[in-house]
Amino acid sequence: MLTDSLPNENATRKFKEFEYFGSKSDFSYYLLPFRFHNINEQREILVNEIGDFLIVPTGTAELIIERKINPIAYPELYGDLIANFFISEQPIPSLIDVLATRYRTKKSFLDYFTSLHIFVISLRCEHTCHYCQVSRVTSDKSRYDMSKEHIDAGIEMMMQSPNPHVTMEFQGGEALLAFDNIIYAVEKAKEAAIMRKKTVSYVICTNLAPLTEEMLIYFKENNILISTSLDGPDFIHNKNRHKPHSNSYQYAVNGIIKCREELGAENVSALLTTTNLSLQYPEEIVDEYVRLGFKNMFLRPISPYGFATRNEGKNKYVTQEFLEFYKKALKKIIQYNLDGHFIREDYASIILKKMLTPFPVGYVDLQSPAGLINSVIVFNYDGEIYATDESRMLAEMKDFTFKLGTLGINTYEEVFYGKKSLELSEAFLNESLPGCSDCAFQSYCGADPVFNYTTQGDIYGHRPTSSFCQRNMEIMRHLIELMDSDKKIEKIFRTWITGKN
Amino acid sequence: MNFHINDHQLCLLIDGRQYNEKVLYKCFYWYSNNYSVDIDIETGPFYKITLQATKESDSLSWNHLIEKIKKDLIDFKLRDIISQETQTIRELIVAKAFAYYEIQETPQTNISDPVGFNPENVLEC
Amino acid sequence: MQLKTKGKPHNIFYPVVGRVTKDHTANAEILLIEGEIPTDAITRFSLVLTTLDIDKAIDKPSVYAIPGFEHLSEGDIVLVNTSGMINTLYRVNSNHNFLLFTERCNSNCLMCSQPPKNRDDTSYFFDTYKQLIPLIPKNCFELGITGGEPTLLGERFFQLLELLASNLPETEIHCLTNGRTFAWPHITNRLGELSYNRLMLGIPIYSDYYQLHDYVVQAKGAFDQTIQGLYNLAKNNIRVELRIVLHKQTIPRLAQLAKFIYKNLPFAEHITFMGLEYQGYTPHNIDKLWIDPVDYSDILSEAINYLSDYGMNVSIYNSQLCTTPKNIWQFARKSISDWKNIYLDECNKCAVLNECGGLFQSNAAKHSAYIKAIMQE
Ligand code: SF4
Ligand code: SF4
Repeated sequence: MLTDSLPNENATRKFKEFEYFGSKSDFSYYLLPFRFHNINEQREILVNEIGDFLIVPTGTAELIIERKINPIAYPELYGDLIANFFISEQPIPSLIDVLATRYRTKKSFLDYFTSLHIFVISLRCEHTCHYCQVSRVTSDKSRYDMSKEHIDAGIEMMMQSPNPHVTMEFQGGEALLAFDNIIYAVEKAKEAAIMRKKTVSYVICTNLAPLTEEMLIYFKENNILISTSLDGPDFIHNKNRHKPHSNSYQYAVNGIIKCREELGAENVSALLTTTNLSLQYPEEIVDEYVRLGFKNMFLRPISPYGFATRNEGKNKYVTQEFLEFYKKALKKIIQYNLDGHFIREDYASIILKKMLTPFPVGYVDLQSPAGLINSVIVFNYDGEIYATDESRMLAEMKDFTFKLGTLGINTYEEVFYGKKSLELSEAFLNESLPGCSDCAFQSYCGADPVFNYTTQGDIYGHRPTSSFCQRNMEIMRHLIELMDSDKKIEKIFRTWITGKN
Repeated sequence: MNFHINDHQLCLLIDGRQYNEKVLYKCFYWYSNNYSVDIDIETGPFYKITLQATKESDSLSWNHLIEKIKKDLIDFKLRDIISQETQTIRELIVAKAFAYYEIQETPQTNISDPVGFNPENVLEC
Repeated sequence: MQLKTKGKPHNIFYPVVGRVTKDHTANAEILLIEGEIPTDAITRFSLVLTTLDIDKAIDKPSVYAIPGFEHLSEGDIVLVNTSGMINTLYRVNSNHNFLLFTERCNSNCLMCSQPPKNRDDTSYFFDTYKQLIPLIPKNCFELGITGGEPTLLGERFFQLLELLASNLPETEIHCLTNGRTFAWPHITNRLGELSYNRLMLGIPIYSDYYQLHDYVVQAKGAFDQTIQGLYNLAKNNIRVELRIVLHKQTIPRLAQLAKFIYKNLPFAEHITFMGLEYQGYTPHNIDKLWIDPVDYSDILSEAINYLSDYGMNVSIYNSQLCTTPKNIWQFARKSISDWKNIYLDECNKCAVLNECGGLFQSNAAKHSAYIKAIMQE
């Protein structure tokens, strides 16, 4: 037995020098899988298979690969590379099980299949936002509200999710126009949750214009979270969100204040939709969120779907402009934090969480395998089931590529394990996509087949021209550069991840 | 690397012994946003790469572009080396990560107790 | 703090473990006698300890001519050796009781405060604790296990743990181990099967870089074994605490170590950063080890803030407030066992004396050059 045959170094208890404990005297080493990317002229990032990174001087990757690193000339770097699993002194690193376990952990969001269930409870809306893809100004309830049968079938399907915790999100149109439908759905879901031993979180996405006292009471009783839209100061918001004969901004702000009073600030969040107009006012938009006391904001690019692509003049802006906007807004947000005012940007936080923590992060647009079906499913007002929110908007334009089935007709298995689902989810490991496969940001990024399909016509996409890729790559590079340039910023980023101030 | 430029076109002659085909494809993939790219096999181990500017303006700075291509080729070659050298280990990591049953490996190193403790002698239960 | 005494043995043929009492009606095994000998009552006891200089009068295993019992309280548990040496094993009035499982060790840390011995003492300690554990009061809040390396008891390690689990189900058990043995999955699985959730293992990790860790613990392959051990423990849901001694070898990569811990060992329930004790090997290796705490305060606060920002539970042990940056005072604990804890003269002038953990007695000879009373603000 090995253990017995080796000489015992402790027999004499004589202390030995540091050098004695190295496992190699010839300075040879093996590479472990990693990727690299330039951050700027001086710095590059190395990212290993489990998403841990080192920021090093440009040219370091080359030195490593060409075996020019050794513990004498680069003691610190050498230690960093060994300790962080970039190189190994054995052909198979002795801690390979650690790597494997961490790899599994990072990907373990797969274990919690589908948690977010979107119910498009009604397609009706009283707004006529110019970028809106789907809603209808109408009072035809029977045609544009989700039927009780479909709600029942949607809840039944949600309850079949293997995930012990599910989220039920009501969207519109304007969801609150069908408040009766919401009550029906929540009550049904509550009953079912008890029977099936699941916990359900409820979210309503609303512009808050139809908000009443009665609704507030119901939200409070049922711990319903409110997600509203706020595009910035009134001149932006009102321009973006056209509501005939009234002031949408005022409705939103009043609604936010009322909801906060009743439900507590932490249960009310706002989503920002970026348009051509907003692009010119990054600082003003951030100021507005701070002024209204929000602790977070989500700088989302406008989606390329539905009506938006038709309204080209107003909405189509190049990624470059969005990135400029994003960076300026981010800078402002960081400045607020440096001045002691906590406010977090959600998109960055999602990416940072992937970069800085060992835990899996579930966010639809930034997952590999794609968030598609794995973590979200959409039940449309007419009972059709779609893979993502965007794919149902695509369907409004008569493209049913991402339709997975129909409520009341298809079974859970047919929807989640059907041919289409499998086809979609299998094809979307970004590990294997051209361009992504070598990209250092692969483990922080994702694959968005619906986006690829919508903008580029095929589900695989073409990275060099993809705005998804351009946007993510540049945001990730920028975040790394910020952290590398200033430790104070890194510390702020930590507070964004943990929410701890 | 040889190159010549005409009108809206950049032609590169690259030695496949220096940059293999995979490296070339991976590298020039990223140029397909602004250029129409052709990769052809020439005589011997050589490849001919043709970049045709799709926009007028992009043909103006060929020299700058050549510098960038040189850098990128090196980077993609480095990436190729990593991926070749680490392919087995990467597969091993994934296999271990998603193995259906766990293979628990016993350390091959010494517990180094001078009095002779040997973990292997402790019973499983 | 006095933990042993000695007298003249009489009729003692094997070591005896028992609770002491001066009250001959009490439930105990060993009677302490200072004055008259209550001849009838002593029959209930297995042993008598006395300060009296007599032997003939007692027809019992006994130790006489003991200098005094001032250091013993009712219910304390002692070990009486055949030589007449009396060791206190358990003090009822202390929160710092521990069981030394063995003096053997498979590492040889540069700063070991209790240098290991290459002699098999395991059956001696095993026999002692087998008797001791059932006598420990059930309301004992916390009990430490130390060494040496306790797992070297092998089979007996598990037997003692089982004994603890069944006799003291409410007691928190804190076991110091280098964790290397747990690299062997069958051993860790066996521990896992005990489902002993009052048990926490305190495992040292001195660097993220194997060579440095192996150098500090003076054992090749130790780092890999400890990390594998930690992973095996985590898989078995066994609670672990990570322990880092702060000295010249561990300081340079401390920030990297913190990162390594969060990335690779986020399951650690507690992470303690500990000041150097001037004890055991340390004086001998002091040139390799000494760095004034004031000179590592920035690195320490970076490492601690990093971990605590990510929600890890962090503490600093064995530090003095006056040499610790204020932004990490909240992590400093009064950790030094009562019987080893001292303060300096300077401390008497100090405004935070009550909050400060003070020094190890051994550090009277070697401590930060910057210990200075903090004045009221
Ligand atoms: S989409 Fe772009 S940034 Fe994201 S992994 Fe692929 S190549 Fe990298
Ligand atoms: S002077 Fe003494 S009591 Fe005061 S902080 Fe320093 S060590 Fe502690």
